[in-house]
Amino acid sequence: MSTYEEEHGLSRENSEDARSASVDRRETRSQFQELFQTFGNNNSEEDVDNSMLLLLLSQMIPASLQQEWMEQMEQSDKKGCSESFIDSLPRIPASKIKEDDSCPICCCTYKEDDHPLVAELPHCNHKFDLECISVWLSKSTSCPLCRDDVMSHKPGIDTSQVELEEDWGMFG
Amino acid sequence: MASLPKRIIKETERLASDPVPGISAEPHEDNLRYFAVTIEGPEESPYENGVFELELYLPDDYPMEAPKVRFLTRIYHPNIDRLGRICLDVLKNNWSPALQIRTVLLSIQALLASPNPNDPLANDVAEEWIKNEELAISKAKEWTKLYAGKR
Repeated sequence: MSTYEEEHGLSRENSEDARSASVDRRETRSQFQELFQTFGNNNSEEDVDNSMLLLLLSQMIPASLQQEWMEQMEQSDKKGCSESFIDSLPRIPASKIKEDDSCPICCCTYKEDDHPLVAELPHCNHKFDLECISVWLSKSTSCPLCRDDVMSHKPGIDTSQVELEEDWGMFG
Repeated sequence: MASLPKRIIKETERLASDPVPGISAEPHEDNLRYFAVTIEGPEESPYENGVFELELYLPDDYPMEAPKVRFLTRIYHPNIDRLGRICLDVLKNNWSPALQIRTVLLSIQALLASPNPNDPLANDVAEEWIKNEELAISKAKEWTKLYAGKR
């Protein structure tokens, strides 16, 4: 007769792990009980140090899950554009920047910099220092000048390419 | 203290050299991000002939973050609470880094000219404003005389 482990595709080592995990759990539980009793009795004292309790609680939550939660929290804080969108903004060549054009965000003329990096927003065509607009778009999706939602315009579908492919299909 | 961004220096200079009519803003000697502001009550508003003192602070993230502005002078207004906090979209969600100290102060001046009791911060004032506008306006005039007299 096959053993439970074999039937369920488990090796002996795994069950060994499971056993030690249950020992761990038992230890944690007794630790928890101890702490609970300590703090339960000292309820009246206000300056009870809860750091041990918090530490124990954090030990009970797997590190991977903690990481995931932290990432989720960071994600929900972010309301801006993706980094790849910001990186893809068209740049204005230095030759097309006028002497007295200035960035509406830092109020400095672009030409103050010998190698200005000026970006243009799609659709509304407003221009800013790439550095300035990058910071703003990392927390917002609106143009600082006209409040146009820069993410709301989906790139147009290039139909010329589609027709070309169809033609090729006919000859193929 | 960290060095002051060029934009703040430029804005401060322009506020002094080309001031907005009815508005003054001067930086504090010890902290160039802290401004003492006065706004004159707009003509034909309940705040006419009043001079209102405000404080304005530019947070470290300015201009990515809106300036913090608060009335120091008591004012009877549906969008300004008793602590002087102002309910104004450009100071909150509608802030944009292309706005400046002068545009913010102009918006506040415009808010004095047209109170908006339907988007209140000071709930009791807004309620009174909606219930009996005439009475509210006379109260606003009274408070202006009491607290915002010219010095």
